[in-house]
Amino acid sequence: MSGGIARGRLAEERKAWRKNHPHGFVAKPETLPDGSVNLMVWQCTIPGKAGTDWEGGYFPITLHFTEDYPSKPPKCKFPQGFFHPNVYPSGTVCLSILNEDSGWRPAITVKQILVGIQDLLDQPNPADPAQTDGYHLFIQEPAEYKRRVRQQAKQYPPQI
Amino acid sequence: MEEPSEELEPLFDYSRIQPIDFVYLDDDCSNSNTLAETKRKRQPDVNPAVEKVKTSSEVVQVPDDDEKEEDWLPPPPKRPANNVELNGDSTLQELRLKKKELASFAQSVEEVLREVEEAARREVISSAKPAPGLKEETESKGKETRQKVVISIQDMDGLKSFRMYMDDKFEKLFKLYSEKVDTTLEKLVFLFDGDKVNPSATPQTLDMENEDIIEVHRKAI
Repeated sequence: MSGGIARGRLAEERKAWRKNHPHGFVAKPETLPDGSVNLMVWQCTIPGKAGTDWEGGYFPITLHFTEDYPSKPPKCKFPQGFFHPNVYPSGTVCLSILNEDSGWRPAITVKQILVGIQDLLDQPNPADPAQTDGYHLFIQEPAEYKRRVRQQAKQYPPQI
Repeated sequence: MEEPSEELEPLFDYSRIQPIDFVYLDDDCSNSNTLAETKRKRQPDVNPAVEKVKTSSEVVQVPDDDEKEEDWLPPPPKRPANNVELNGDSTLQELRLKKKELASFAQSVEEVLREVEEAARREVISSAKPAPGLKEETESKGKETRQKVVISIQDMDGLKSFRMYMDDKFEKLFKLYSEKVDTTLEKLVFLFDGDKVNPSATPQTLDMENEDIIEVHRKAI
């Protein structure tokens, strides 16, 4: 039952995305080896915001939806070891709107999630650290933090 | 317990297809006169018809009309009550019949429309399918029946929409776009769903829908 709801909503999200999404972003359900589409896992790309140290990077992120979506938020994961104060070592993003117990609302769209994470990249939340490396540099060594961010942006060039 | 039930009684009678009451209650409503209502409730058996007609005529003369019904309500008071009932009743029934007719008419129109649409769609699909080898011929012959889509190209500043056929190659569109933005094709990369679009692809081969967008990026060389 709920699985039907999740898939129905995701199909809608997919449709809406194809017709309207912010430039540079990618969001599409993964295609399995047999050619079928798995709506429950989306491979996405978030571009670093122009004018920030993140500019030029096209960061891959995977959205894992559950059968309880949209009652529960998807788990959003950057590659393991992604450098950012609010990203766990596993790559999972820590953001209020992605937290079932705080900011998540079923009406939040995939587009809003991705744009929200793009905002988070350049505006980390020091009150909610998720990794030591990124957090300490952000707090104690701004110059080194900046360097690491720029270096990481270069690691993820556009796929063209 | 008695009072409220008594007060409720007339209401039930009224809705329970008692034409007489129905018409007169309507009068009350259009007057929106609480006095008349309370009067009727307190003395329900004293020839309510005549009484109410009178009150309604009195009230109607003083204030402005507040509902459309009053257009046909004022005349009745002068006539005998029986005629009024019949008139009101028959006009109501006529109106209801007309309403029903219109509703069924609308429904049948919808159905016809749907059928036509479906037929058209079937035609389009079958005409859009011919093998790619025959494309050149169908392009000239079947222009009327081939399916068109609107594809938008999105750059950093916004969208530009283009109308093309489902089996048109993107080559044309890309060339047109590059001319429009005053640059050469070599400097542009077109992406759909994050994948580069091959100029020889068509909306059909990429499984695109109406109003899907293609992103354009400038090569950073």
